[in-house]
Amino acid sequence: MLIAADKFRNIANAIELQLDIFPEHRTYLEKRFSGADEASLRFADHVADWVMRIAGEDIGRIWEDYRWLSEMVLEEELHFRRTGAYRLSTFEEAFAQVYSNRQFMSRYMNGLLASQLWWRNHTEVLRFFRDRFVASNVSGFSHLEIGPGHGLFLHLAASSPGCASAEGWDISDTSLEATRAALKALGGRGDLHLRKADLFAPPKASFSSITFSEVLEHLERPQEALRILHGLLQDGGRIFVNAPVNSPAPDHIYLFEAPEDVVRMVESAGFAIVETLFAPCTGATLDRARRLKLSISTAIIATKQA
Amino acid sequence: MDDTLQKVAGIIRDLFDEYDGPITRDLTAASVPQWDSLGHVQLMVAVEQLMGIRFKSDEIRSFASLGDLIDAIDRKKVAT
Repeated sequence: MLIAADKFRNIANAIELQLDIFPEHRTYLEKRFSGADEASLRFADHVADWVMRIAGEDIGRIWEDYRWLSEMVLEEELHFRRTGAYRLSTFEEAFAQVYSNRQFMSRYMNGLLASQLWWRNHTEVLRFFRDRFVASNVSGFSHLEIGPGHGLFLHLAASSPGCASAEGWDISDTSLEATRAALKALGGRGDLHLRKADLFAPPKASFSSITFSEVLEHLERPQEALRILHGLLQDGGRIFVNAPVNSPAPDHIYLFEAPEDVVRMVESAGFAIVETLFAPCTGATLDRARRLKLSISTAIIATKQA
Repeated sequence: MDDTLQKVAGIIRDLFDEYDGPITRDLTAASVPQWDSLGHVQLMVAVEQLMGIRFKSDEIRSFASLGDLIDAIDRKKVAT
């Protein structure tokens, strides 16, 4: 038994279903939850519930697509280890190979949804977002997320009692449809606004709270994106930035080699750092992840000083 | 311990630093908790770089034990 099923029923159910489809993943999942404290397991149990609610009757497909994603990422890892670089380097390549392929995107997004539960760094960043970012936002905050994807970050922000308004922007209709379906499945506020918008040609607007999670690594000009976000954030507002380091994936084009690279880029856009979380991949300490150049999720809470 | 095994053992000690048991030809991933699918890719590429060889994708998936890997390395070294 990997988890106490009487206490963490959702995780236990998810593990059972995942292992039916991906039995070779048992050792990994044992490692994923070994040593986890009560609070982190309780949070992961919520994540398991959210994943299953979003998936609904398609839950089997989520676990299948996670297996597909895990195998695909190994091919990317092989290239990264051999060359020290991501396979793609331009947005045009990523669009041709990934974003324009609706079926690929659907499977990819399903796999990433499951990874919020199975990849410890993803779960930890989500928890950091809820407890350290959303919970500390001032009452009445107006929130924007760029690239809301699976919808979990946007759901957490929008469902905060202090959130006055929330919206999500994406350049992809497919992605917006997925976010819309996820938010509907999770319930919550009905006035949440999702719209097709390009960060590099932003609508006229301003916000006191912005989420920018797992977008920087998809961009050719991440510095420019951060400068635009600085312009969208109100004085005294807060931004949550999350980007992975050394994390090869089929559509990652900008390589950060250390968490400090992400921090410096956020600072150079004019933000003041409030707090950071460097979350190494499952099974690795931060020191080992740095030494072996393993993936580290780098989450940053920063503010725009008046 | 033969030369190839000794070199690969050095990589294993470095990559999978929580494993403190003996490293022999019979060693398998199942005995080394850090030797998961991602760790396997890292091991293969570290071996490639140290030995100056290149594995095919199907070879990478085929090694059932460290002995299989050592034999494949020795075959490739003879062939080059």
